[in-house]
Amino acid sequence: CTESFLDITPETSLSSVTFFKTQSDFQQAVNACYVPLRTIYNDRSWLLSEMHSDNTYYARNTAFGATEQQEDLADFSIPVSNGLTTNAHVLNQYRQDYLIIARANQILALIDKADFDATEKANLKGQAQFMRGFAYFELYRYFNKAPLQLTPVTTREAAAAKMGTAADLEKIITDDLIGAAANLKPKSTQEAGRATSGAAKTVLANLYIIQKKWAEAEKLMKEVVAEGNYSLIPDYNNVFSTSTANKNNAESVFEVQFQEGSNGFNGTFMYNFLPRPMLESELKTLSGTSNPQPQTGEGNNIPTPDIIAAYESGDLRKDASIGYILCSSTLWEGKTYPIIKKYMKTHSLNGNHGMNWPVYRYSEALLFLAEALNEQGKTAEAATYLNMVRKRAGLANSTATSQADFRTALMQERRVELAFENKRWHDLVRTDTYKAVITARGEAIKKDPFSYYYQRGYTLRSNSFSVIEKYYPMPADEAALNPNIK
Amino acid sequence: QNLRGKVSGSDGEPLIGAAVTIVGTTRGASTDGSGNFAIDVKNNETLRFSSVGFISKDVVYSGQKTLNISLVADNKTLNEIVVVGYGSQVKKEITGAVQTIGYKELKDLPVTQIGQKLQGQLAGVQINQTTGQPGKGLNIRIRGQLSVSAGSDPLYVVDGFPITGTIGAMNPDEIEDISVLKDAASTSLYGSRAANGVVLITTKKGKGSGTNVSFNVYTGVQQVPMKGRVKMMDAVQFAQFKKEFYEDAKQPVPAEFQNPSQYAGKNNDWFDALINKNAPITSYNLSITSNKEKSRTSLVAGVLDQKGVVINTDYKRYSLRLNSAYDISDKVTIGFNVAPQLTYDNTPRTDGDRGTGILFNALHTWPIMPIYEADGTTLTKFNRFPASTGNIFAYANWVRSAQELINETTTTNLLTNAFMEYEPIKGLKLKSSINGEILRTKFFFFNPSTATSAINTPIPTTAVSIRQNVENVSWLNENTVTYNKTINEDHKLELLGGYTNQYFRQEFTQVQADTYSDDRLPTIQGAININRGATQSGVQEWALTSFLARATYNYKGKYLLNAAIRRDGSSRFGLNNRWGTFPSVGLGWVVSDEGFMQDIPAVSFMKIRGSFGEIGNNNIGNYTQYALINNTVNGVFGNTVSPGASVSSLANPNLGWEKTRQLDLGLDLNLWNDRVSFTYDYYLKNTSNLLYSVQIAQESGFSNFNDNIGEIKFWGHEFGVNTKNTTGAVKWTTNANISFNRNVVVALAPGIDRVYGTFHITKVGQPFGQFYGLISQGMYKNQADVDNSPKVPGRSFPGTIKIWDANGDGVITYGGNNDDRVIMGNPFPDFIYGITNNVAYKNWDFNVIGSGSYGNQVMVRHIYSTANLDGPFNLLEEVANRWRSESNPGLGKYGTTVGGGNVTGIERDWINSRFISDASYFTIRNITLGYTFTKPSKVYKSLRVYASCQQAFIFTNYWGGPNPEVSSQGNGQGDGGNLSQGIDFSSYPVPRTFTVGANFNF
Repeated sequence: CTESFLDITPETSLSSVTFFKTQSDFQQAVNACYVPLRTIYNDRSWLLSEMHSDNTYYARNTAFGATEQQEDLADFSIPVSNGLTTNAHVLNQYRQDYLIIARANQILALIDKADFDATEKANLKGQAQFMRGFAYFELYRYFNKAPLQLTPVTTREAAAAKMGTAADLEKIITDDLIGAAANLKPKSTQEAGRATSGAAKTVLANLYIIQKKWAEAEKLMKEVVAEGNYSLIPDYNNVFSTSTANKNNAESVFEVQFQEGSNGFNGTFMYNFLPRPMLESELKTLSGTSNPQPQTGEGNNIPTPDIIAAYESGDLRKDASIGYILCSSTLWEGKTYPIIKKYMKTHSLNGNHGMNWPVYRYSEALLFLAEALNEQGKTAEAATYLNMVRKRAGLANSTATSQADFRTALMQERRVELAFENKRWHDLVRTDTYKAVITARGEAIKKDPFSYYYQRGYTLRSNSFSVIEKYYPMPADEAALNPNIK
Repeated sequence: QNLRGKVSGSDGEPLIGAAVTIVGTTRGASTDGSGNFAIDVKNNETLRFSSVGFISKDVVYSGQKTLNISLVADNKTLNEIVVVGYGSQVKKEITGAVQTIGYKELKDLPVTQIGQKLQGQLAGVQINQTTGQPGKGLNIRIRGQLSVSAGSDPLYVVDGFPITGTIGAMNPDEIEDISVLKDAASTSLYGSRAANGVVLITTKKGKGSGTNVSFNVYTGVQQVPMKGRVKMMDAVQFAQFKKEFYEDAKQPVPAEFQNPSQYAGKNNDWFDALINKNAPITSYNLSITSNKEKSRTSLVAGVLDQKGVVINTDYKRYSLRLNSAYDISDKVTIGFNVAPQLTYDNTPRTDGDRGTGILFNALHTWPIMPIYEADGTTLTKFNRFPASTGNIFAYANWVRSAQELINETTTTNLLTNAFMEYEPIKGLKLKSSINGEILRTKFFFFNPSTATSAINTPIPTTAVSIRQNVENVSWLNENTVTYNKTINEDHKLELLGGYTNQYFRQEFTQVQADTYSDDRLPTIQGAININRGATQSGVQEWALTSFLARATYNYKGKYLLNAAIRRDGSSRFGLNNRWGTFPSVGLGWVVSDEGFMQDIPAVSFMKIRGSFGEIGNNNIGNYTQYALINNTVNGVFGNTVSPGASVSSLANPNLGWEKTRQLDLGLDLNLWNDRVSFTYDYYLKNTSNLLYSVQIAQESGFSNFNDNIGEIKFWGHEFGVNTKNTTGAVKWTTNANISFNRNVVVALAPGIDRVYGTFHITKVGQPFGQFYGLISQGMYKNQADVDNSPKVPGRSFPGTIKIWDANGDGVITYGGNNDDRVIMGNPFPDFIYGITNNVAYKNWDFNVIGSGSYGNQVMVRHIYSTANLDGPFNLLEEVANRWRSESNPGLGKYGTTVGGGNVTGIERDWINSRFISDASYFTIRNITLGYTFTKPSKVYKSLRVYASCQQAFIFTNYWGGPNPEVSSQGNGQGDGGNLSQGIDFSSYPVPRTFTVGANFNF
């Protein structure tokens, strides 16, 4: 009697002892794996990949402090000590990726033992494999090494895992994504917004391209093309979702899902990409909401003169990607700033929108295929895929015929086609051009700060462009908790 | 036959309310305001005269008509009966550290909370009023007890029932006395809940004889003195600052600031506008006690009506307590106590960080922003200067916020108790009781579209409503056996055994809705949107089963022994660790009873005592042992929301209570026939198995693991002294105490030697929760100073803050591997002290209570806004005197405004020693002057009238605000718990109160 009096289990929360049994349990667990993607794409990816490249920069607001965390990323001046950094964005990206991994590990450790419909089980397992592979792929690209955590942690001691090398990570990613590609449903039958076999193949092809495994990448991308589930949307303007419509469209391979409203599924990234301070009347022209609020702080992810100049004349993508906004109250005398038009869609609620974030689009799959073919000397075949992308942009066929010229043309095409989609930094790294490009960029900004949105008379911080490294240092806070991180 | 007479003390003073009883009967009477009595008595019956503090006297009646009795004062207050856990003891025979305050000491203070009555009166007990919000804010810590993440509040036991709520709302007039149990021997009968100390509250019971009726009323006004308020710039000073800001930056001065003198006479003191200048407070209490044949009852009914010193604060309390006991037979007594209470509390959102608390908001709102429209009476809606003036944040009108936001809590509380006591043979008592507590809290918040408590929120804003209902139900069944036996007159033995069960259940529901079409209808259905994320319900439960036993033995009242043990089984503990045992032993020696002491007549009493025991803290949360699934981690796919779930915490089946081992050594010494009585205690405590949410590598998917880890050592000295300075016509007594509490962190988790809060560090080998940051060394004088000193790369210039390079690497770094942060302050005092003086002369009485704290510091958090050199906010007046050039370096406390956030940001964003203020204080808590009319009138038997002042004077160097006792942690703000004490975000001022009152006895 006494013991049962003392047996009190939580009534309004399930415990792990009773969970992970039914299809519904695993369905819910899989859904939770996707959740950290919203945080990653809303808050971090663009800081670590796009503003940390030559495509965008911040709009300095000298009246506002506490902005060095993001400025350090754009200025290649993050503090590094013993291979570790205190940069908060690096830390948060890292932690969100492991949150996905931990949730996927729970599923993958238990799902085989659960008893329910085999088709549904495969599709759920495939999503968990996809999410874990994707998260490790992010860590691989940012850090080139990471602790290996492949089973659920149940004790304090097991939390600090051993470090894995790049090769270890490549193996996990490959295994998970091959498994995911086999288990997942194709786009035609999968619920919109979930990982598909095509998405798994595209992420894996991205890894192969980094590894220069061109034949393997070609094979996967050809399968995706042959699937017939994807096509280029004729007007580039319509490729990107609005706050409520055009989501997971024909061109979408994988998107991070947002939903406008007060339930916490919304994005705010459009607001992060505004120059500031901005009056509510100026914001209203972009957001269209009935209750615009003045924006303070410092603007981020502002297109640079370099990316604006990168578009060929007649490229329809330029006006679809970059707009301009008068920001009358800023201290920068230029006042009219470029902005990322792709993501500036009107919506209803101030500071709350539902545009999805494009992670992989079919045009990138075509460019992957073109690149894989060209690198194997099949330049002519490659051109057909490159020109599909160019044609949609209103441009003539590429004139590049040599393998080397084609390589240059392809990277140029990637830059403008995929501008502001968090691809640029990774392309600079995998082609090993990051050092030259970023060094030149640093010199350009230092020479003409005004063109990079500095007030006249203001210069860059003295430590700008002093840390141009291929990979991010590991986060110091995690190193303090895991002695294996060095 | 009718007998009349008078009872007085040996000094001739009449004794009011003395009991006159006839031994062996239930007949009795009590004396009136002049000490007179009348009683029917038969020959040869024995009359017994008794009064608290006097030795009672028996007289056999022999037919006289009048009888005047003089009672001798009982100097042996040591024979006082003291309430201890599960019973009471003669004070002289106690072996532990127990301090009691009786009704007499409590009744003189017209304050609304029990904790306020205790301030300064108890050695070793720190009671800080962290906010002045009515009915809230008292932070009570016994012997400096702390825990990393388990609660540190003492256990409150009302008439034997450990309540689950707080005592903040209890009517102080219901209380007979309060015992504070400090050492392990006194507390171990409360086992796994005893480590933070135990406060036993005994409510009024029927006593004396006959029926006594008294009525107490007081009324007063509460004010916020000008002294102590944060000195902010006025409109002219602010415009002058802004003018200089642009001049120093070599930028054109905006038109608004070109002529600061235009704002002369147009200052807007936003803080002052929120203050209610003379806030009334009124309290009524009616007490009826009755002691009839075979029944005793007591009734206390109270009404408190208090306005707050911040506008639109309203606090009301209606309370009733009825205690009754009936003797069913010679052997059986039953009793019923019932105490319903209703409180209503509407307080604006005053306390909190920038943007959330309107007092903080008011401090840093530009004084050139008008509170009223040009007509001088209509409140402005919204204040916004052009962005070109540097006004990057827009401000709502805070007066409107205070007036229009609804933030009300209605609490109904019912404490009940029923018991039966059976004494089958003399000395053996069986007692069984059932206690119940029902606490319902209804919270309603409505933010209409016309107001907001946040900065930078334009009006109209989105209207939001929050409704919250919380219901707590707790019951306790206790069954005890006590056996008293005195053998051969010299051996006194008492045995206690018991078995108890307690259960608690809380249910809460919250609905949050927003976007209202009409502010007049803040219903749920009136909202366009229900906020799913903030709409929730939940249940919390715990159960506790316990066995307890105690043996008390003494030989001739000279050699004392006390041994106690409790065994607790708790639903909160891990499955592998369900039962805990908590033993203690106490020894005492009354040295003054020994023969050899009779040669030292100066010593009237001397006792040496010592105790040791182990006690626990079970405030570890209800389900911390389980791995929980969070089923609100929902996904979105296309336009479909799909439910998601993930494991949100790790299980620990071994989780248990925090363990405290405590040693106490004490001395009680009375001199010169008890003219001076002195108490000293030394304690040494070791708290181990701290419930600690150990940070773990987040590669696990979790940030923390709940474990019992680490150890803190506490020790301290407590001194108390009572003196009778003068006797005779003027009676002056003094009661003073001082306590020194210390702690050091002995261990945290393996491999972890420190835990950081935002502003604090808890580090092994150091005291708990120290302020942590950079050490400010003033400003760089000039370029040469910059060149020759360690600096922040790219951010140090002449006139910017100069920081001590603690690690000597030549570079100033905040956080990370080359951190220059060090311990820069301590929120815990070196010592706390209190002193009470009572003077009585004829019918006059005069009482002064003071208490203080020395050597503690507070972090003045608001200067990250109120000294923000970029000029978006109003500033401390002192900032006018900042660094402007090498020849005009100012106070050396505030740097140059030139360079923008990248330059000025360091001194406000990198926590540094500039934020730290000494917070030592001495406060005169209470001054009361009273006069008693002892001559009965037609209306009353006696009447006392008095005038009183609370928080009369505060002596302090604290510069961060009006309340040096502030600690945002104490009122639920800040980044959580004991790790983050002593932060001032700006809180509700604690008022100075002037009161007049009257106590009638009928």
